[in-house]
Amino acid sequence: MNHMNLNRARQLARALDARELRWMHDCLTIYNGMVVTLAAAFMSITQLKVIQTYNARAFLEQLAAIPLPPLTGFLLTVTSFLILAGLGWLYREGNVPPTMRYICLSLEIVACVVIIRSLNLAYDGVVLLVVADLLHRYSGRHQLILLTVAMLGLYAIVDYNIVSLEYHIAPFNAYAAYYAAGPRAWILTLHNAFVSLNLILFVFYLTLLIRQNHQEKQRIASLNAQLEEANTRLRAYAIEAEAMAETRERNRLAREIHDTLGHALTGIAAGLDATSFLVDIAPDKAKEQLSKIKETALRGLKDVRRSVRKLRPDDLEQLPLHQAIEHMIDDFSASTGMKIDFEILQWPERLRPDQEEVLYRIVQEGMTNARRHGHAHHLTITIGTRRGIIYLLLADDGQGADIRKLQKGFGLRHMQERLALLHGKLRYWSDRGFTLEAIMPENEEASKFL
Amino acid sequence: MTGWARIRRTLPHLSPFLLGLLIAYAFVFLMLYHMEPQPIVLRVGLFAGSNWGVPEGNSYAVIDQVIARFEAEHPNVKVVYQSGIRRDDYSEWLAGRELAGEMPDVFLIPQDDFDLYADRKALAPLDDLARRDTAFSLDDFYPAPLAFARSMSSGTLYALPVECVPRLMFVNRTLIDREGIALPTDDWTWDDFLAICQKITRDTDGDGRLDQFGVYGYTWQDAVVTSGAKLFRDDGRASCFADSRIEGAIRFTIALHQTQNGQVVTERDFDLGHVAFRPFNFAVYHTYQPYPWRIKKSMDLEWDCIRLPRGPHGENISPVQTLLMGMNAKTRQRQLAWEFLKAVCYDRDNQEQLLQNSAALPVRRGIIEDASTDELFGSTGKQRDSRSPLAVSQVIEEGSVPYRFPGYQAAMMLADRKIQELIDSNALESNTMNRLQKEVNALLLK
Repeated sequence: MNHMNLNRARQLARALDARELRWMHDCLTIYNGMVVTLAAAFMSITQLKVIQTYNARAFLEQLAAIPLPPLTGFLLTVTSFLILAGLGWLYREGNVPPTMRYICLSLEIVACVVIIRSLNLAYDGVVLLVVADLLHRYSGRHQLILLTVAMLGLYAIVDYNIVSLEYHIAPFNAYAAYYAAGPRAWILTLHNAFVSLNLILFVFYLTLLIRQNHQEKQRIASLNAQLEEANTRLRAYAIEAEAMAETRERNRLAREIHDTLGHALTGIAAGLDATSFLVDIAPDKAKEQLSKIKETALRGLKDVRRSVRKLRPDDLEQLPLHQAIEHMIDDFSASTGMKIDFEILQWPERLRPDQEEVLYRIVQEGMTNARRHGHAHHLTITIGTRRGIIYLLLADDGQGADIRKLQKGFGLRHMQERLALLHGKLRYWSDRGFTLEAIMPENEEASKFL
Repeated sequence: MTGWARIRRTLPHLSPFLLGLLIAYAFVFLMLYHMEPQPIVLRVGLFAGSNWGVPEGNSYAVIDQVIARFEAEHPNVKVVYQSGIRRDDYSEWLAGRELAGEMPDVFLIPQDDFDLYADRKALAPLDDLARRDTAFSLDDFYPAPLAFARSMSSGTLYALPVECVPRLMFVNRTLIDREGIALPTDDWTWDDFLAICQKITRDTDGDGRLDQFGVYGYTWQDAVVTSGAKLFRDDGRASCFADSRIEGAIRFTIALHQTQNGQVVTERDFDLGHVAFRPFNFAVYHTYQPYPWRIKKSMDLEWDCIRLPRGPHGENISPVQTLLMGMNAKTRQRQLAWEFLKAVCYDRDNQEQLLQNSAALPVRRGIIEDASTDELFGSTGKQRDSRSPLAVSQVIEEGSVPYRFPGYQAAMMLADRKIQELIDSNALESNTMNRLQKEVNALLLK
């Protein structure tokens, strides 16, 4: 509950920040629009007055270049500014692909240069507007390059101002010089004030932007911490759940053993007790009793098998071994990208479920080892049967292993133990990659050949 | 129904690009629809009155003929100009047009405004146009007027010369004949000049005041031009007043001034025929020689013009002043403007018109030589053919180009004031010119 409140408050703060920033940017744009319009109008009107009062010749001498005609200059400036503002909006808010955004920004810079030129460099505050736009979406890959270029451009413009100052009066001063001393001082003060106020607005905008970015970073950091915490907790839960599942399984097994094996063994023990009495007194009865005990043992065995079946993997439960292995191989190679060939020389018939499971587990473990330890790219699995002996061969092209130093991991030992239960054997060697060979008899008679 | 619905559904999703394309299409369509055959208008900037400070009967006589001819050759073109702008107002008017963005396509350039427009890229550079035009050759112009049409700093051709006037020495033949002096030849020297002046300057009516003089209006600059030295370096960043030849020129001017014995010669003395020599530009001679002006200005005197006298190291050369015409760099009719510029400045027939309708001389070679003496010098009634058209052509051919660089006016004003003081007080000392040079250089480097 507390968390939710906190999150909502944070979201609200972010929305507020974004709104503040947008509002500030709008402010900057509108302010610049007003100043640009005023400057253009001032220059156009002054130019008209200069012509009307026959001061054109003297005025021209003070300028480094011929200014645009009054109306053209004004319209060009205002139009360029509208384009600049539109492009800026598109760049910041518009849902356009990145290439279009970069084009927008480039056009914005062009419009900016047009404005500055048509204003005879009297006001270059619009550059800051472009820089503000540039900074606004600063996730772009080329942002640093763009920023550098923009800054260089700004420097060039400022430098050009200085150059023109050196050779002629600054153009704006020439315009102001047309007026009498009183109004001229007023105009120059106003001009400086406009430039300064723009700088102040820009710095304010920048501060807001930096603050927002900082807060965003903090928010991300706090979210990360939360996530980390949740992860830890989740891991603990997982371990706990595993332990619980294990306990439950152990309990189930105990119950199962108690119910089935215990029951059968108890029956057998009791039956054998009785038989030991009967064997001398009534051998026939004893034989009868023995056959009953055998029945009990068989039933117990059947129950054990049923229990064991419950522990078998799902695939093996639902599919024949052949398809289960293929299914597993497909899954594994799909998930790891390892190339696995599955060759069947002669499929062993009449496999018992325990044999099936051992084979399945060895394939599973072998594939995992080839991937994990051998870093193999290719694995060949061969299965075959000859004279009652089942072969399973896994050969990979991985790094292999030094057999002498190879510490039998849990996997290899486990395989060996499982095989031993079925009178089978496990061999492995490393030449070109690692090769694992498992053999086991099909049935009791065949075990003699091993 | 379904079609309409689909259109309504897709309408809001129309891409802005497609929309833009549609608008552009509509725009072009409407533009094509409203297009009408309109004559191309070529605007020309001209002033009324002569550039050379002489009265002129019909200021637009020459240009009207050029325009009529040009319009006949280019049927769909209309050449217009605003008439009635006086020479003195022209510079301001032109600047006003430039500032208002209504600059004429082709316009006369006042001498002082050439750099103003050339430096601000308001004049179209003409080198390429001239090179590409096979029916045109810059070699057909006299060198001095053409050089004046180039920017002194970059050498770019920004204009073409329209007409020119050389500065010549006017001789009152009536006076020197009376004094029994032969008309000086074109290769006369300062010494000849000084000797004649000394001989002529005297008191004729015995009231103790000089009333007959050798020269009026001969300046130290006239002496410098013929001294063989240069006043300024070509780039206008340094002066050469300390040159011994210039010092010689100043000394000569002082000597000439001494002949007047401190008495001031006035224009009236000259008009009354009491002065033997006066340097004048050719336009003045041309204007005052023929009938109406001659009576008004000077009594029934006979005038002649010869070259300026030369110094020991110099030659008999004359400064040639040139009126230029340039092309607006922003003109929409570049080729047509060039054609018109050529018609005014280069076309042989149009240049010949100058001989009759203008006080100035054509800038194209081969016209003056072919003119008759009457055409060139005006009809005097009395014929004493000492002047030949060929000689005038030669003067322009060898003429010197006036300086034109940013600090020129200020430098010359300073130098003129200082040298005038020197002349009046006869105070030329060994290091005077060095000091002057330093002062002028400091001004030029400012």
